Parts: sequence; C-alpha cells; structure tokens
Amino acid sequence: MRRTLFKLRTWHYLLIAFILLVPQAVLAQEDGTAASPGLLEAAFQKIIDLLNLVFYFKIGGENGIPFIVLWLVMGAVFFTLRMKFINLRAFKHAIEVVQGKYDDPEDEGDVSHFQALAAALSGTVGIGNIAGVAIAIRLGGPGAAFWMTMAGFLGMSSKFAECTLGQKFRTIKPDGTVGGGPMYYLSKGLSSIGMRGLGQGLGVMYAVFCAIATMGAGNMFQANQAYAAVANVVPFFENASWLFGLILVAIVGLVILGGIERIGAVAGLLVPLMAVIYTLACVWVMLARFTDIPGAIGTIISSAFVPEAVAGGLLGAIVIGFQRAVFSNEAGIGSAAIAHSAARTDEPVREGIVALLEPFIDTMFICNMTAIVIVLTGVYADPASAELDGARLSAESFATVISWFPYVIAVAGFLFAISTMISWSYYGQMAWTYLFGDATVNVYKVLFLACGFIGSIINLQLVLEFSDILLLAMSVPNLLGCFLLSGVVANDLEHYMSRLTSGAMLAEIGAPAREPILK
Amino acid sequence: MNWLKKDSVLVPIDFSDISYQAIPIAKMYIEETSVLKIIHVLSPLHPADPAAMWDTLKDDERKQKVQSFLRKKIYDLGYGAVDIEVTIGDPGTKISDYAAEIEADLIVMPSHGERGLRQILIGSVAERVVRQAHCPVLVLKSSAKAKKD
Repeated sequence: MRRTLFKLRTWHYLLIAFILLVPQAVLAQEDGTAASPGLLEAAFQKIIDLLNLVFYFKIGGENGIPFIVLWLVMGAVFFTLRMKFINLRAFKHAIEVVQGKYDDPEDEGDVSHFQALAAALSGTVGIGNIAGVAIAIRLGGPGAAFWMTMAGFLGMSSKFAECTLGQKFRTIKPDGTVGGGPMYYLSKGLSSIGMRGLGQGLGVMYAVFCAIATMGAGNMFQANQAYAAVANVVPFFENASWLFGLILVAIVGLVILGGIERIGAVAGLLVPLMAVIYTLACVWVMLARFTDIPGAIGTIISSAFVPEAVAGGLLGAIVIGFQRAVFSNEAGIGSAAIAHSAARTDEPVREGIVALLEPFIDTMFICNMTAIVIVLTGVYADPASAELDGARLSAESFATVISWFPYVIAVAGFLFAISTMISWSYYGQMAWTYLFGDATVNVYKVLFLACGFIGSIINLQLVLEFSDILLLAMSVPNLLGCFLLSGVVANDLEHYMSRLTSGAMLAEIGAPAREPILK
Repeated sequence: MNWLKKDSVLVPIDFSDISYQAIPIAKMYIEETSVLKIIHVLSPLHPADPAAMWDTLKDDERKQKVQSFLRKKIYDLGYGAVDIEVTIGDPGTKISDYAAEIEADLIVMPSHGERGLRQILIGSVAERVVRQAHCPVLVLKSSAKAKKD
C-alpha cells in the first residue's frame, strides 16, 4: 500500500507536467503558425541567448572561432601531442583488449572491457549519426564531413585521457557499484595534486552542467529528430507531434521510472541490429553508385579547404565539423567516462585505450558512411530539397537508391532515440546523485521526461542551439581538469606501455600465463 | 527507569558518519545489543548502468556485499554482532515497512538538516519515516549533536 502511494507521488509530478505542457503544444499546433513562437520557445530562446553570450563568444570578430569550439580543438590537439599519438599507437592494443585478451576476473569492477565499451556506445551511437551529419553538411557544406572525421581522430586522444582518469579516480561503493566520471576525477584527482578547492569546485560545476545538459543532446535532440524521422513516413504525426512526444516519453518513462527493464533490454538488442542494418544500407548505396564514390570523397576533401557558400568560409566549416563531431562522439565532454569507470580492471590506462575506439567507431566510421551517402546521392545540393535538414535529409538521400529506406530510418531513429535517452538519463542521474544524493532522483527523471516531450514538439533550430551550448559547456570544467591532470595520465601511460612492450603484462593476468612449464 | 527501555530499536544507516552516530544513542534505550537492528536501503540500479545493462551485478549480490561491509564496519566501531537488513527501494517506505515487520518500538535516525532548495532536492528521509512509521521516531538534530560534542 505504502509503495503504491509512493508511486502515486511520482505519477502526480508527471501528470502535472503534462497538464501544463500538452495543451500548450496542441494549441500551438492548431494555430498552425510555426513562425510565431509559443511561450515555451520564447523561454528557451532566452536561456540560449544567455548561454551563448557566456560560452559562444567569438574570438577574432564576427567570422571568428567561438571560444568553446577553440577550447575543444585545442584540447584534442593537446592530448594527441601530449600522449604522443596514442590514437595511432594504441589502436591495435585497444582491439586486443576488447577481445578479452587482458580480462582478469579477479580485478574490481562490474563489467568486462567489451561490455563497458558497448554500454558507452549505446549513449554515443544515436540518431546523431544519421541526423547530425546531415546538419553538418547542410550548414558547413560537404567539407564539414572532413572536419568531423578530423575531430573524431583527434578526439580519440581526449577520450583516452578522460576515461583513464575516470577509472583511476573511481569510487567502488559498498554494494559493488561504481561511481565514476568527471565529477569524481575532478574532485579526487585534483585533490591528489594539491588543488583540493579547485577540484571540488570544478566537480560540482561539472555535475551541474551535466545534469542540465543531459536534458538537451541526449534527450530533446533525440526526441526531436526521432519525431522528424517518423513524421517523414507517417503523415499522421505531421500535425500531432505532441502525441508522438507522449508515446516516446511514455516508453522511456516505463523503463527509467517504472523499472520495466524489459523494454530497455529489447531496445538494447534491437539497436545493434539497427546499426548493422544501417551500415549495410550505406554499403548498398555505395555499391549502387560505386563509380561516384571517388567523386564524392573528392568533393568532401576539396570543399574542406575551399568551402563554397559557407558562412565563415574555411573556419566556418572547421567549427561546424568539430561541433557536430563532438556532439556525436562526446570526446572532451567527459560523459563516457561515467560508463567506462565500471569496467573490471586494475589498469586505468587500459580502459582509456578501449575508450579511444569510441570516436573511431562513431565518427570516423558510422558518421563518415552517412556523409558519403549524402554527398554521393547529391540530394543536399538539389535546390528542390533545400528545406530538408537533419534526419529528413538523410532519409531523402537513401531514398534515391532504396525507395523504402526512410521507413527503416524511422524505426532505427525511434529505437536509437530510446536507447540514447535511457543512457543519458543514467549520466544525468549520476550527476544528480553526486549533487543531491539518491533520495530525489525521481525529480530528475520527471524533469528529464518533460524535456523529452518538449523536444519533440519544438523546432529543430531551437533544440539544436540549446543542446549544443549545454553539451559544449561540460567541456569547460572537464578539459580544464584533464589538462591539469595530463601529467598523471602521461606518467601512467608511459609505465603501462613499457610493461606492455616488455611482455611483463600478459604474465600478470590470470592463471594460463602463470602455468609452470615442466621441462 | 525501565519504562524507557525498548525491546527492539531500529537504526537506519546510509553510510554517512552522522548516521553511525545514532547507534550509541539507540544503545541507551536497550539492555543488550541483540535487540538493536540496522537497516540499509539501496537504490535500484538505473537500467543503463553498465552492471544492469549486462546483468553482471545481481540484487542479491549487492545486498550481500553491503551486509559484510556493514558487519565489519559495526564490529570495528565496537558494537559487536547486530542484526543487519539490506533492502532495495525507496528509503522512507522501506524503513517504515521494516520497522512494522519487526515490530520495532523505536527508530533512531539523524536528520541531515538541509534547508530551502537543497531540502527539496535532497529530500528528507527522516521526515518521510516520521510520517509513515507506526512507532516513535527519534530524530537527531545536527545542532544538538554539535552541542554534545
């Protein structure tokens, strides 16, 4: 009885949220005036303007580079150089570790290296891989795809640094669960090098940014683009985004609030399947237009350096490429370190090395496939489809070769959105718990669901700006801490690599290597 | 004097230092430690926690780990063997449910004493227990504790 009462409380919050939100959404749509922003949109615009003022100010005048993007580019370049091209030299080792060659069941932690990578990827590979690339090409021309790849390559090093730190300064709680991520390594890590006050400040700052940012990129943006992908093939939803929002939020809510993990498990199974189908479709389109591939790659590379009709020219294309890449692979944002810290290992560097595969899979592989398909089919350059953006542009590009593929994109987009939203609600919950403890996580979850609903009813531009600036803001405390701790990481890495190359490492793991050889 | 003595006293522990300080106070109401019960309420794993996603950490295993952790901790504090219950769910509800189940005469727990926005966001387990429990609840205030020290 008491338990049901408690549940009722939670549903009360939900009910109140929807009573407030749904009529607004329905009214706005009945007016049919998308141009006149509702109260909600105006409120969001205000928040965005304020955040942009703080983080997005441009260095070098009107056509300069926004501070926050420069910060991320510098971070990625710095870690690539400081760790002596770890993204290249540890690549082979990363694959061996994921294969389980170095797994030691005696080490502390909850999941294997492979399982940790898969968990982190489910938050990373999302509708951004379909829609984000299209947005980048729409804004920055085909050349933006080149800069996305570049950002993915350099981002592997930032990802390595943050996930190594995530492992090194994790907390294993009495029940065996792991608390990790930037909040922990900022406070514990910086304390360990004598910057206790700064570390605690940055840790709290990160947790606050993270709790808020999870409402955007991993939530509103996903809902928004899943709606775009579905409404693209189901015209019924075209005028009923609020209904779509309700359905999506209800499913996610059942998993994260209702504890019905089955749905999550089903989505978790279907997502890799969808990723495979999507990749195969990309290959199919490429094979169908085989002769155009060199031309498409040529266009991407040449327009990377001499972009045409892109606001801000070359610098504009670089900014857009980096921004969309980071949005997709989270390198420098620190969120993935939360998932990676659960890995079962006593070698922090090893998990960092596993994590560097993420930007590779997400950005250099999947995003690039989408980019080639979009450029190959030429839909982006067709004046007739100039108003298409995001998921709709990707769907249209596939449709030129596989007419029914927009349906697959709709299903894939919907499932990707669900799994990414579930993953990001976990990141947000960890940040919330860091700040306020366990008792009120339901308040966070209800806020999260409300934002998911809002995301599916307001327009892409607004969602994108809001999600972008909040996600990027997370990199300020995160990368600052990583810079300060880079000496620690570099030392550990050197030590690890020397043991790896001397062959001492395999001998430390498990029994097989220790078996006495009788002569 | 004896009318103050209780047959069964429950102390909820949330691993915070201040929650352990409820044990000596609870002991003032009992004759022997065997009637002292400890409860810890774990929160359910988020479905996207890697351990939940891959089902590598079962609920029973989590409870077991907390059991042995608390047993050692309480032994180290010098209280000998006490009954420890570990459950998963909403702390306020679980604590009052367990108190009813074991027919506790008294619950002793600290209030973390947050105010304003933090009170809303952190929430007060003590407040919930006071409202839901069937028995008296002794809520220790942090200021009173400071005076005692």
